[in-house]
This record gives sequence, C-alpha cells and structure tokens, in this order.
Amino acid sequence: MRQKIMLALTGMAALLLARNLYVIFLQLPDEIEQGAIYRIIFFHVPDAWTAFLCFFAAMVASVLYLARQDLKYDAFAASATEVGLAFGVANLVTGMIWGRVIWNIWWAWDARLTTMLVGLLIYAGYLMLRRAIEEPTERAKMAAVLSIFAFADVPVIFFSIRWWRNQQHPNAVVETGKMAPEMLRMLFTNWIPLLLLAVVFLMIRMEQERTQREIDALRRQVHSF
Amino acid sequence: MDSRNFAFMFYGFLAAWLILCAYVVSLASRERRLKREVERLRTLVEDKERAG
Amino acid sequence: MAVPALRGSLSFAGQSLTIAAKDLRSELRTKEALNSSLAFALVILVLFSFAFEPTQEETRQISGGLLWLVFAFAGALILNRSFARELTNDCLDALVAAPISGAALFAGKAVANLALLLAVELVSLPVFGVFYNVPWTQQFWSLMLVLLLGTWGLTVVGTMFSALTVNLRLRELMLPMLLYPIMIPGLLAAVELTTPLVMGQPLEGSLIPWLRLLAAFDVIFTALALALVETVLVR
Repeated sequence: MRQKIMLALTGMAALLLARNLYVIFLQLPDEIEQGAIYRIIFFHVPDAWTAFLCFFAAMVASVLYLARQDLKYDAFAASATEVGLAFGVANLVTGMIWGRVIWNIWWAWDARLTTMLVGLLIYAGYLMLRRAIEEPTERAKMAAVLSIFAFADVPVIFFSIRWWRNQQHPNAVVETGKMAPEMLRMLFTNWIPLLLLAVVFLMIRMEQERTQREIDALRRQVHSF
Repeated sequence: MDSRNFAFMFYGFLAAWLILCAYVVSLASRERRLKREVERLRTLVEDKERAG
Repeated sequence: MAVPALRGSLSFAGQSLTIAAKDLRSELRTKEALNSSLAFALVILVLFSFAFEPTQEETRQISGGLLWLVFAFAGALILNRSFARELTNDCLDALVAAPISGAALFAGKAVANLALLLAVELVSLPVFGVFYNVPWTQQFWSLMLVLLLGTWGLTVVGTMFSALTVNLRLRELMLPMLLYPIMIPGLLAAVELTTPLVMGQPLEGSLIPWLRLLAAFDVIFTALALALVETVLVR
C-alpha cells in the first residue's frame, strides 16, 4: 500500500515536472537582464520553501514528541530535518550558481542564502547530535529540544542578517522585484512536484526509522538469549 | 530563447537535480544496509529459538 | 560538593542564587575554568595581532568582531565546565533530585556563568586596549550594557547546550558546534553595537534596532531555555 502511494506520488511529480520544464523552457518569455539563467529560480526558490516547511514540520513533531513521548514523532522530526537539509543544499547550490552568473562571485553574503547557510549548519548539528546519543528516548528528547531552539532561531537569523546587509549595502537590489504573473504562477506550480518528492523522501525515511527500531528490538532479543 | 549564460543554467539545473539524486542514492544504500541487518537478526533469533 | 540544605520555602530566586553561589564558590576554589578561559582570551588577542598586524584605526573598525569572537571562544570553556563539573560522584543526579526546579538549577548556573564570563571580558577589554592601543572607554556605560546583554545571550543558550551535551563523549566539540550557529543573531547584534561604541559613537539612532534585536534574542531564548531545561535534565 505504502509502495503504491509512493509510486503514485513519484509518478505525479514526474509528470508535473515534465510539464513544467516544457513551460519553463519553451513558453515563458525571457528575462531582459539575466538571460537564460533566471529560469533556475523555479527550482531555487521552491527548494527553500520546501526546506523551511520541513524544518517547521520537524519542530512541530518535536513539540509533539515532548508532549506525547511517542517515538514515531521523533522519527518524523529526524526524517523531516534530513529531507529539509537535502532541499536546503539544493537551494544553496542553485543560489551560488545564479550568483556566479549575475554578480560574478560564488558567494555574496546576501541575506537569504546566508540565512539558509546558517540554518544548514544548525540542522547539520542536529543530525550530529542524534548520532552522538545512542539511547533512543534520550536521543529523541535532546534532539526535540534542539529542534525547537533551532526553528525559533530561524526568523531571528533572517531578520538580523537582512538588517546587517541593509546596513552594509543600502539599496542593494537583491530582490527579484516584480515578477510577471505567469512567472509567479510557475514558481508555485513548480513547488508542487518538489513537495510531492519531499513527501516521498519522508515516507522512505520514516520506513527506515521503523526498520531501525525493529533492528534495535531484535538486537535486544538476541542479547537476551 | 535567449542563449546567454546557457551553460551556467544547464549546470544549475544539473546541480539541483544531482543533489536530490545524491540524497536518493544515500536513502537507497541506507535501505539496503538496514534490510540486510534485519534479515541477519531475524535468522539469528529464529535459530536461537529453535535451539533453545 | 555539598548540596546545601534547601527548604521547600525558598523562592525561585532564592534557589537560583543558592545554586549560583555554589557554582561560583566551587569555581573560585580551583579557578580552573576561569584561568583557562582568560588565558585563551589573551592568547587569541595576541595571535590576532600577529596574524593581521592591524593599525590602530583598522582595529577600531573591527573591534566588535574581534572582541566577541574572543568572548565566544573563551566562553565555551566556561560553559562546558558548567554542567560537566557535576558529573563526578553523580552530583548531577543529586542536584536534579534535589527539591529545586530544573529551571532554578538552570538559572543559577546561568547566572554563575554570566558572572565568570563577564569577569573574563572585563579583564580582556583593558588588555585589548593596551595591546592594540585603542581607547575604548568613551562610551563606557553603554559598552557595559551591550556587554551584559550580549553575554547574557551567550550564557543562557550556552548553559542550556551545556546541559544538553553533558553526557556526550564529544562534549567539548559538540557544545561549540551547536552553540555558535544558534548564537549568530545575538553575536551579530553585539558586534554591530560594540564597534561603534568602541569608536566613540553614542548608543542612539541607527544602533537602537540592534539593541532591540539583542534584547529580543535574550528574552526569547531565556524563555525557551527555562521552559525546556527541565525536560533535558530529568532522566
């Protein structure tokens, strides 16, 4: 059943992606200043949205774990954080390539990419913390606390870095500015297949967490003989 | 379509997808490892139950 | 370590201050963390001078960054010891079992760490002034306010993560690794405030938003820490 759902979601994502790529490359008009590269934005921006949605979901799961003590919430938090990291890295790399083309530098310390970088550092730390604790309930508890701290920090990080950049480079135009309506629509339309993929990754990862719990139980059984 | 910066755009798309593919590959290898471990442990438990 | 006899009637503040006093007394006996932290701070200040040979003017322009990097790195040593010192003889279990709330235990330790780190900072500042020939006392009291707010942020999050990582083998590595990215907004605000203050600019105008950010950071994370620390400490 799960397999079928995952296959169906992947299939839908693939179809949507194919359709979107067609529109992105063949139908949408060019951007005057940037040439072809601007089309990367249709992956760059939804990647970030997906990543932060995952981190938010991880925080909610963490709160639920602390409230209910059910390890499934912990499994969800870990899986969501991992999937969020994957999309976050994709966002960073596409952002760097875009920056290299537009500003001729690989890294410009602009507010949004820097926020994502800091976020990735924090959530990589989350995964490292998980690896450092062996006992499952202890690990779940500590990781949950960290996840809550981490996500509470995300908006603060964003505003502080944006304010910092505005002070250094007042009126620097880093914003994408007004977008043509069909481009804006494509931004959201392309988010859907990415979200579907994120859900599939999440399902795979959750199943792996369940398998890991089964392994732990079996190990205990073996040792008790 | 404007072909300025086409190479970079190609690399950009490639990079985004390669990263997600890399994640899928890591998921798959983890899956294999976990399945192997579960099988090993299950047979171990069965053997011990049969013997004991 | 002697857990002082705590009557149930002690208020939250009373409990925290008792813990703070205990920690400070314990630290002042050996001065281990204090000395290593201070030594580390001084070494960084010296190394930086060798590495970059900044002129007086250059130093003033980066003073905020340099000082807060020094404070953050030196602070990690103090913060690490905070809960780690309770591991011997199961003191931590005894403290958690004692009739004080986890929040009071945390608050007490945070206050003690604040005092220790402030002490290190107050020694580092004149040394910085002397080594780099930088006059830094023009906005002394504003600078002290920023020092207090910034160090409080560092201490609150740091003490929390000290509790989080106390049982880890790689505690000394994990604490800084988890702490510094989370601290970025607080440290950024502190740096953006410190540099102008060292350069003699008064605390007004464009600096006020940073002050607000720093205060907000402190409030948010103090509240979070107090709410969650009980969960972290109780086995």
